[in-house]
Amino acid sequence: MLVVLLVLSAVFLIEPIVSNYPDDARVFPQMTAAVVLVGSLLLLVRNYLPGALGTVVNESINITTSDSSAQEQVAQREAEQTGSAPKRTLGREYGYEVNDTVFMVVSSTIYFFAGWAAGFLFVTPLFVLAYTAWFRIRPLLCVALAVLSTVIVYLFIEFLLLPLDQGQILDFSPFLDPIGLVVGVI
Amino acid sequence: MVVEAVVESQVLLQLDTITEGLRIAISWPVIGWMAVGLLLGIVLGALPGIGSPVGMAIVLPLTLPLDATAAIILLVAIYSGAMFGGSIAAILINAPGTESAAATTLDGYPMAKQGLAKNALAIATTASALNGFLAAIVLILISPILIGVVLAFGSPEYFLLAILGISLITIVTQGSLVKGLVAGALGLMISTIGTGILSPTPRFTFGQFGLYNGISFVAALIGMFAFAEMMKLAARSQIAESDIELGGSIKDGVMTVFKYPKTVLKAGLIGMGIGMIPGSGATTSTFVAYAEEARSSATDGRFGEGDPRGVIAPEGANNPTVSGSLVPTLSFGIPGSGSTAVLLGGLLMHGLQPGPTLFGDQLQITYAIFVSLFLSNILIVLVGLSVIPYASRLTEIDTNIIIPVVVVLSFIGAYTLNRNWFDVGAVLALGVLGFYMVRYNYSVIAFVLGIVLGPIAEENFFRSLQISGGSYDIFFDPINRPLSFLLVLGILFILVGPFLKPAIERALNRA
Repeated sequence: MLVVLLVLSAVFLIEPIVSNYPDDARVFPQMTAAVVLVGSLLLLVRNYLPGALGTVVNESINITTSDSSAQEQVAQREAEQTGSAPKRTLGREYGYEVNDTVFMVVSSTIYFFAGWAAGFLFVTPLFVLAYTAWFRIRPLLCVALAVLSTVIVYLFIEFLLLPLDQGQILDFSPFLDPIGLVVGVI
Repeated sequence: MVVEAVVESQVLLQLDTITEGLRIAISWPVIGWMAVGLLLGIVLGALPGIGSPVGMAIVLPLTLPLDATAAIILLVAIYSGAMFGGSIAAILINAPGTESAAATTLDGYPMAKQGLAKNALAIATTASALNGFLAAIVLILISPILIGVVLAFGSPEYFLLAILGISLITIVTQGSLVKGLVAGALGLMISTIGTGILSPTPRFTFGQFGLYNGISFVAALIGMFAFAEMMKLAARSQIAESDIELGGSIKDGVMTVFKYPKTVLKAGLIGMGIGMIPGSGATTSTFVAYAEEARSSATDGRFGEGDPRGVIAPEGANNPTVSGSLVPTLSFGIPGSGSTAVLLGGLLMHGLQPGPTLFGDQLQITYAIFVSLFLSNILIVLVGLSVIPYASRLTEIDTNIIIPVVVVLSFIGAYTLNRNWFDVGAVLALGVLGFYMVRYNYSVIAFVLGIVLGPIAEENFFRSLQISGGSYDIFFDPINRPLSFLLVLGILFILVGPFLKPAIERALNRA
């Protein structure tokens, strides 16, 4: 996290100099980047900072005076709940251990790129089917959700005239013409 | 006589504007959107892990075709509905649908376990709506004072206010001050991507035409709230299954609230007061209200074991927090919570600038929002009490069904904004960033505030420098710009104060 912040802030500090931005376009991003850079550096070396500076960087601040014992009680109950059995997934059934968050992010990333390439209308049912099937949702419900999601995308195309049926690489929109005709007749 | 006439004409003008606001709020289709928002809010709030910021972030781009007032009222209704909806899951399955309902679990769940689930839900509905209703009236009454304050602000003050807002949020949200500041500055930094505000210089676009308009703050809101929250939800085990029978009586629950008028009023005042402090949302106000009730009723209370006052206090505080948090959001553009950050995004997306415009030329819109709060709390009672018998079904929905639908809506919504694939990519990238920011205790609200307020802060910063001929003294001039100077002192006090406190205490003890 800190490395990402350092790299980002360095880019925002150096790029205006390299690309020779005018003053009014340069000062504000560089000011904010300087705060991010200094803050991230301080956090990176927080264990080695001397005295008062170390306290400033490491100490937590909380000016609100809510009942900490009540909050602790809630946190404890939540911890007890999250300690329950892991989810059933298709992977686990076949002996593959895939982190649920990683699966969610990877499948969403594939969905994003596939949507960009071939249009969201056509990849949405596949994404929803794959995701729900992975988490062992009832097949009928999987199909119902896939249909619902596709209808939502189709409504966006119809009412907001969004080209969600056209990808940047593949264009399957001509396949929709008969459907459009049927909808038009109805 | 002249003064009296002026005051009278001002009062009449205010009444005219309130009437106009009322007319807008009850006109069709605005009132219909309010009802839709309320229902949606109750459902989203009742689903553990969803809550108001997520729901509002997903709905935000979908409001594009709507009229600005209808869109904002829809968002406010979702916010208000979710505040009540959160209590359903808190009471029935001990898992708060929203963070603000966390304190309700303390006595709500034990009450449900004792066979009083309907009582607890009715208490939550009545206390929440009653105080939300009263807070909306207070909001309408205090708005004339706000107008005067808001109109005193100029460019330097607005720039400093944006910085003050981010600073305040870093200390109100618990954790390291440096991390909070880094998060806020990172948001401001990201907001500078795209064509410069004053000169048409493409900044940090690296030749990508899709980045010339910058990263849409709505896409950032969707990423930070909806996508990041789905990542968190994906990591969670199955939601707790309800082992509660819906026993008890709705009528008794409603009557219980009226047995404790002091508790109700106190919770309402705490909720509204804390809501007005930028950065401190309903999570803080509900715990403070609960703690205060437990403290003042220590002798006769059985808090934590199903005391009805343990439900009245947090639920009586959460809806007034919505009204309270609208004060800094609408008057200065400083949101009090994640939900108000999304609301601020909605205002800006629909071309409504918080501050002098909303309290000047567009005052009728502001009043329409206040009136809609008032009306939505009446609807909460009607809808809330009627959904109680079916409430448990909402909490049984599997989160794995919700996640793919939210992801689809987030991506499509982001694309709807500008038909720009970079906005969809931003949802994904900022969602992952948001997830790790939460994991490593960086304030997501400070980051979002930075992105939303970035253009406003930058524009006012340069406008101030143009006024002063390039001199930074304009921010530190106690004689000509006392408000500016006070804001600088405020920022310094916020940033340095907490660290000087121990030294001051030591010095005072020695004396």
